[in-house]
Amino acid sequence: QRVLLLVASDVDALCACKILQALFQCDHVQYTLVPVSGWQELETAFLEHKDQFKYFVLINCGANVDLLEILQPEEDTLFFVCDSHRPINVVNVYNDTQIKLLVKQDDDLDVPAYDDIFRDEEDEEEDSENESDGSEPSEKRRRFEEDVIERTMKRRQRREWEARRREILFDYEQYEYHGTSSAMVMFDLAWIMSKDLNDMLWWAIVGLTDQWVQDKITQMKYVTDIGILQRHVSRHNHRNEDEENSLSIDCMRIAFEYDLRLALYQHWSLYESLCNTSYTSASFKLWSVQGQKRLQEFLADMGLPLKQVKQKFNSMDMSLKENLREMIEESANKFGMKDLRVQTFSIHFGFKNKFSASDIVYATASLMENIEKEGPETTNFIKALDSLSRGNLDKLHLGLDLAKKQLRAIQQTVASCICTNLVISQGPFLYCSLMEGTPDVKLFSKPVSLCLLSKYLLKSFVCSTKNKRCKLLPLVMAAPMDVEQGTVIMVGIPPETESSDKKNFFGRAFEKAADSTNSRTLHNHFDMSIIELKTEDRSKFLDALISLLS
Amino acid sequence: MPVVKDHSGRMRKFKNKGKDTDALRRQRAEVSIELRKAKKDEQILKRRSILFCLVDENLSLGEEKRNEIIQLSLEEIVEAVNGSNPELQLQATQATRRMLSRQKDPPINQIIELGIIPKLVEFLTCADNAPLQFEAAWALTNIASGTSDHTKAVVEGGAIPAFISLLSSPHMHISEQSVWALGNIAGDGPLYRDALINCNVIPPLLALVSPVTPVGFLRNITWTLSNLCRNKNPYPPLDAVKKMLPVFICLMEHEDKDIISDSCWAISYLTDGCNDRIQIVVDTGVLSRLVELVARPELIIMTPALRALGNVVTGTDEQTQAAIDAGILAVLPCLLQHAKPTIQKEAAWTLSNIAAGPCWQIQQLITSGLLPPLVELLDKGDFKAQKEAVWAVANFTTGGNVEQVVELVRSGVLKPLLNLLLAKDSKTILVILDTISNIFLAAEKVGEAERLCVLVEELDGLEKIEALQTHDNNMVYRAALNLIERYFSGEETPDLQPGTGQDGLYDFSVEKQDFNF
Repeated sequence: QRVLLLVASDVDALCACKILQALFQCDHVQYTLVPVSGWQELETAFLEHKDQFKYFVLINCGANVDLLEILQPEEDTLFFVCDSHRPINVVNVYNDTQIKLLVKQDDDLDVPAYDDIFRDEEDEEEDSENESDGSEPSEKRRRFEEDVIERTMKRRQRREWEARRREILFDYEQYEYHGTSSAMVMFDLAWIMSKDLNDMLWWAIVGLTDQWVQDKITQMKYVTDIGILQRHVSRHNHRNEDEENSLSIDCMRIAFEYDLRLALYQHWSLYESLCNTSYTSASFKLWSVQGQKRLQEFLADMGLPLKQVKQKFNSMDMSLKENLREMIEESANKFGMKDLRVQTFSIHFGFKNKFSASDIVYATASLMENIEKEGPETTNFIKALDSLSRGNLDKLHLGLDLAKKQLRAIQQTVASCICTNLVISQGPFLYCSLMEGTPDVKLFSKPVSLCLLSKYLLKSFVCSTKNKRCKLLPLVMAAPMDVEQGTVIMVGIPPETESSDKKNFFGRAFEKAADSTNSRTLHNHFDMSIIELKTEDRSKFLDALISLLS
Repeated sequence: MPVVKDHSGRMRKFKNKGKDTDALRRQRAEVSIELRKAKKDEQILKRRSILFCLVDENLSLGEEKRNEIIQLSLEEIVEAVNGSNPELQLQATQATRRMLSRQKDPPINQIIELGIIPKLVEFLTCADNAPLQFEAAWALTNIASGTSDHTKAVVEGGAIPAFISLLSSPHMHISEQSVWALGNIAGDGPLYRDALINCNVIPPLLALVSPVTPVGFLRNITWTLSNLCRNKNPYPPLDAVKKMLPVFICLMEHEDKDIISDSCWAISYLTDGCNDRIQIVVDTGVLSRLVELVARPELIIMTPALRALGNVVTGTDEQTQAAIDAGILAVLPCLLQHAKPTIQKEAAWTLSNIAAGPCWQIQQLITSGLLPPLVELLDKGDFKAQKEAVWAVANFTTGGNVEQVVELVRSGVLKPLLNLLLAKDSKTILVILDTISNIFLAAEKVGEAERLCVLVEELDGLEKIEALQTHDNNMVYRAALNLIERYFSGEETPDLQPGTGQDGLYDFSVEKQDFNF
């Protein structure tokens, strides 16, 4: 039986996909892989393949909508859904015949109780009778025993129950957030089947790191999951530590590390990395003259010669590199950056190549959203997927170059938005809109890049503003999407606070605002908080959003 | 290849293409709905049961409350029912009825296995014991509401004549319960339906219809009567139909919407057949009332009325004309734009059969302003409705004259039609390709083929037709290839210089705004 694999376009999904592909290969399962970037593509892909396939695996898509409702599959079609999107649609949770959810057992789903949201069909007798839909009358009818009082009682109970159901579902569906990384879930599966390999473990690590880089999970969740993976890492990699001589040119070794939170620094210059990492750039306020000065003071404090700092990290003096982490951390503490070190993992391919997990995330994400078009839509996806295999270092390096470009573009855009006061308070949220013609604007028509930009911008804005209320606001960001069709892409992100639970209410809010104004919106992205919108409908949409959230 | 067979089968049902004069129009094909949906509907249907409160019934309920409700085991029931104590018989029958009336899992099979059905039927005849008659009637009604086997058990227990004579019981609640039971028996299928008719069920049933009959009772009668019209193979006997029709026509004037709805369903069953059967309905002059009802906002009325009218226009040209004269064309635009996809689909199906008529009927269709809503449905409607709309356009281009086809193109039909070439359904694609070919034939007749080519190309139609040359379906591939070879092979025909055919008479150009969305 052939399986159809529908995979969303994010790094975690790619990692989960790599693990599953390896498992399929182990078991000689035949499959067809179809990348899907949104609901429309998912629906089309399903329609195109539903006649040939009975088994569908959905990775990082599908959990948060009623799949049976939107796809209308045959009864013998089976869906396996591995998706970190939360909340999971209740129908998916309680359908045990056609929908199989792959979820970590200890994930707290907070699903409402079955009896609170579903009722036995028989109880609905009165309703279906009242609002008859014009279907043909029944051929035979049984006469029930019930008297009028009982019926009105029932009806009242039912109304109360329905009101409660609406409330429960509202609470449950109000916020969007993310559960355990799909790559980790998939790795767990491999582990349970005793088919876990070191490669799979690395993909799980990259999947988790993607969630962290994209700011999808809480710090707490990240640290917990790092802990889980660390145990697997020591299980898989202990042997190599003892016998250093056994390290051959083509072997790989994963190591846990307290590394610097500086993007791509091992493949860049320390200076470039400091300038283009959101954490440092926001802390220094690099968009201002004082900020640039602070950076110079910081470097001076470390005692590193500027020439060394500005050259490729690989070529830096070995003697300087030895205590580099400690030196940087010490100075960072003086400059108020307490969290410059993070728990993460690195990978060695043989002797020469070392990458940190976040390097891979940045590189793969950039390949996925590469705007230099070549070939069909799926090219980017395939390239990104390939870059995750260890035999494809050239693709990885290409990705690293693209990632540097992307981070630079983000940093420049953040600086210009802040310097020209493009972030404005709309009352219940901050709003920033990129104009057509802004440099690199095309890059930000892509969801992941736009989200990353939004997060960096909000971080920087919070550091730059003196308005205490504004520091606590979420951000809505818009960028031109398709000039010909006159559309913008819009994303909403939660407030940037230390204790943030990373829950996002913009998905529901966007839906409601669009409904109430008849705005022409397209809710095509798997994250409900990313939408496409007709440019001319933007102002009425925003007005509705403001009054909705006020 | 099944697709091919279906297609040719459908083609035969066209007025102008086929040679089979009996099957010129498309009969309503039983749509095979998805399993899921069918199951869901079934559940809803079974739950449609309504409790009608009658004065007498309240009395009996009151009595019940006074007496303690007595729980009896199945063994006790058998013993009591077969015994000779009328008190115990009533208690046991009531206990049986109560079990059969509970919402969840009524024990129909177990009750049948007790072998008490003949006894219950016997109780129906106890004219001196009305409560016993009523309880037995109710219990038997609920047994007959089950599967065919359940109904069979009741009929074979001899219930038909007993219920028919109870129709004229002096107690209204007993008579009503009998109507209900007979409805269940009639609903089982043509066999029992005709058995009832042969037992002369219709006259006493019709006698119950009067201006003073309570609404709840009348609903039951209407439903039972409609079941007596239901099912084909064979159709219900002609004279029975003729007796019932005038009553349905009266009932359709009632103010209660359930009564209207069931009457309309009855009419729709009676028109779902050969042209002779349709003619009987047309002759009653009911069509104008149906047109009134189809314009009502309530789905339960609109749906069966539309179904009935849709059936009528599958008939002869004269029968179709009767529907047109009754005003059907005036209400169709609204129905084509209805929010509910099923209504859109039925309306488009109806329209497609009118479009299968002769030119003068097509002309009426144009004059009534049906082209714009048809084009819109084709563009934005539900997919199933779009398929029917495609058939409507196909029939139009087959039967319409050149001027009419030109009018159709001017209404902007090409763009949505060509868009539907992207559908996944090869049958639909074939019909569209056929239609395009028809339009080209018309264009050739007025020397406008060249401009039509340009129009099709501008709408990205050529691209889509070319893509179909790689279609899996052989017929689709050939049809696409034919079109391209004939009209798009690239050689400029020398006699078609710009300037010919610019007298404006056959101007294919569509007003710009139709294409900007």
